Amino acid sequence: MGTYIFKRMISIIPVFLLATLLTTGMIHLSPVDPAEAYLAAAHIQPTDEILEQKRQEFGLDQPFINQYVSSIMKICQLDFGISYLSNKPVLDEVMTRIPATFQLALGSIVIAVLVSIPLGFLAGVKKNSLIDHFSRILSFLGASIPSFWLGYLLIFFFSVKLDLFPVEGIGTWQHLVLPSVTLALPLISIYTRLLRASVLDNLQQPYVLFARTRGINEITIMAKHVLRIAISPMITGLGMNLGKLLTGTIIVEAVFSWPGFGRYFIEAIFNRDIPVIQCYVLIAATLFIISNLLVDLIQMYIDPRISRKEGHRQ
Amino acid sequence: MFNERNSRKTLLITVLILLLSTLLFGCTNASNVSAPKGDQDNMLTMAWPRDVGEMNPHVYNPSQLFAQSMVYEPLVSYQDGGELKPHLAESWDISDDGKEYTFHLRQDVKFSDGTSFNAEIVKKNFDTILNNVELHSWLGFISKIDQTDVIDENTFKLTLTEPYYPTIQELAVVRPVRFLGEAGFPEDGDTSKGVVEPVGTGPWILEEHKVDEYAIYKRNENYWGELPKAEKIKVKIIPDAETRVLAFEKGELDLIYGEGVISLDAFKQLESTGDYETSISEPVATRQLVINSTKEQLSDERVRQALHYGFNKEVLVEGITSGYEEKADYILPTNLPYTKGNDAKVIDYDVEKAKSLLDEAGWTLPKGKAVREKDGQSLEVDLMYDSAESIQKTMAETLQAEWGAIGVKLNIVGVELTEQIQRFKDNKFDINFFSNYGAPYDPHTFLNIVLSEGFGFNEAISAYPNKAELLKQIAEVPKTTDEEKRQQLYSSILTSIQDQGAIIPISYVKKTAIYQKDVTNFTFPANRDEHPFTGISIEQ
Repeated sequence: MGTYIFKRMISIIPVFLLATLLTTGMIHLSPVDPAEAYLAAAHIQPTDEILEQKRQEFGLDQPFINQYVSSIMKICQLDFGISYLSNKPVLDEVMTRIPATFQLALGSIVIAVLVSIPLGFLAGVKKNSLIDHFSRILSFLGASIPSFWLGYLLIFFFSVKLDLFPVEGIGTWQHLVLPSVTLALPLISIYTRLLRASVLDNLQQPYVLFARTRGINEITIMAKHVLRIAISPMITGLGMNLGKLLTGTIIVEAVFSWPGFGRYFIEAIFNRDIPVIQCYVLIAATLFIISNLLVDLIQMYIDPRISRKEGHRQ
Repeated sequence: MFNERNSRKTLLITVLILLLSTLLFGCTNASNVSAPKGDQDNMLTMAWPRDVGEMNPHVYNPSQLFAQSMVYEPLVSYQDGGELKPHLAESWDISDDGKEYTFHLRQDVKFSDGTSFNAEIVKKNFDTILNNVELHSWLGFISKIDQTDVIDENTFKLTLTEPYYPTIQELAVVRPVRFLGEAGFPEDGDTSKGVVEPVGTGPWILEEHKVDEYAIYKRNENYWGELPKAEKIKVKIIPDAETRVLAFEKGELDLIYGEGVISLDAFKQLESTGDYETSISEPVATRQLVINSTKEQLSDERVRQALHYGFNKEVLVEGITSGYEEKADYILPTNLPYTKGNDAKVIDYDVEKAKSLLDEAGWTLPKGKAVREKDGQSLEVDLMYDSAESIQKTMAETLQAEWGAIGVKLNIVGVELTEQIQRFKDNKFDINFFSNYGAPYDPHTFLNIVLSEGFGFNEAISAYPNKAELLKQIAEVPKTTDEEKRQQLYSSILTSIQDQGAIIPISYVKKTAIYQKDVTNFTFPANRDEHPFTGISIEQ
């Protein structure tokens, strides 16, 4: 398993090289000069002297290849440069914001898992029942309501009208509820349907019939056998969504004034703060890889057949 | 088998612990944020879209102007109607040649750490700024400073290389010419890389700051001027406009103010409830259309005038801004210095006149067609707007219909703000939206960008027959020491630029404020970038 993890970690390298190439190339493809964007954002009238000084400071007067190589060298030393906007090391700024984003992402995963497992399972076992219809409606809503709109609705009803939660900010568990629910609903809609389909499929499998003929209690069959196997595709889905979730916090962070990584990134985009954008792309790519790896490991635990297959390969 | 199962268990437990600990870490991280209720007495809470930034008086983005102005003060302050009043300088003398400025400083001023404000610290601040002169060169007088001298403890002299009349006006801006106390300077004295602590002379002291969350300012009890009535100001950072509205409705905010901080629809809706107080400022800038006369179709003055006659400005402004902006007759608001004697011709909506001007210019409407033509070429122009700005977008759409009716095909092109600026500078536009800098920068800064090459304006007025003369006059204005002559020059320049139609004024932009009923004495500062908290109070 060690070799497997190592191999997977190595796969970060080409992703990293490509991401750096894209972000460095972005500066050259964009019609807007970051030095100009900086001055525009600062409401400074751009004179030639300031522009020249800023370009030198940002290293933009160097040829593309030099910029690319120097980016890679620096990133290898975990130096993501200095933010054009704040003049502070990007990595430090990102690290202070990541915990808030993680907190939000995990909060929503917990809610998504807690809601979609029972709901999807029951919807599958009790096909066409009331709960199945409810899960269908919920999934439909989750898939079709845009996050920002859902966020406003939740704030309006639960915060402004019912005064149950604060409108915005971070700090207590109450602050976490509305943004987590906003982020969780689209996940719930996917996982519920995924689990439902998987449960229905498993109920048709011979092992269920066999277990029944052996006289095993129906609850045991469902909980210990059907659910355990049926949950596997949902975990794959979860893993695939983990990276997406972290990047998906962007809108929710803006709506709920959540001081996370996503909000920081939005400002960077508007201000053409290239070092921050570069750092974000790399971290997002790494998170995608790591979350997928994490899922594979969990799947190995749940379904030992996978780990044995990996073992044969090795 | 046993080992495999064991390692799987360990793996699962590790993953679970990791997930839970991050969640718990996050929850405990900021649990001390909510202040006890008793602390909130006489504290005004407002929202701002971005973090207040580092409280450094000498740097720009991401520091917010209003916040810098709470802590740091200027020598001179800009008041209503463009009046320049003494602030940290009690008075000043200007030499006859207009090159030497001697400031007599107030003697009762202390920094928030108790140290004295004197000529030495003024010089130190100026010298630090001059060490990064390129960065600040956009502010006209900075690059003209020849020498800074301490005459005595309370007298400071500024010597310029050439006369430059807006010096006093430019000293009123928020950055970079405000004063940091000795304790705030880093060891090497270079504040461009950061300050040690925000020590200023201003009415407010930064008490607490959580990046991207909030900043709390407390009243400076030793302030030399009028003591603010509110004890504290809390600035909550709420990037989303709709969330700001919802937080205000819930009562989590006492005040929302600024330019475009909430949508006009939301403002109108909140106002209509009657539950809140609202206030609208004097004009802070003019929303203009800049017409690029280097483009063949737009090089004829009659075409530019036709466009001005060809849309109903009053209805456009009223309809799109719900009356919160005012129809503009002049290219600069008339509450700025030297703008009152503007004789420019006020142009009112007149479709027939527009059509006849176009006919006269040779752009005729062929039978059965909707777009005018001249020598086989159709009268088609592009209007560039900031796609994120809903007012510009709606105005562009309206103009498309209005000008369509007089036979001009208008293509509207929405671009990102940074790209809009870039294209304007590169002269890659037909018509563009622009708005001037406002007080205390204008009118001289506006004319300065008309004068400078590579900012869009100089190129846009290329078809003006008197362009060379205009540019000469613009260059002459700041060097003129005679007040009357200056007024004459301004009037003649502004009138000529406007009358030849390359800049069409649309509306005067205003700031809006909405506040809870217990907030009283809210007034907008005359300086566009200053804070409005001096007289504000909260009823207990």
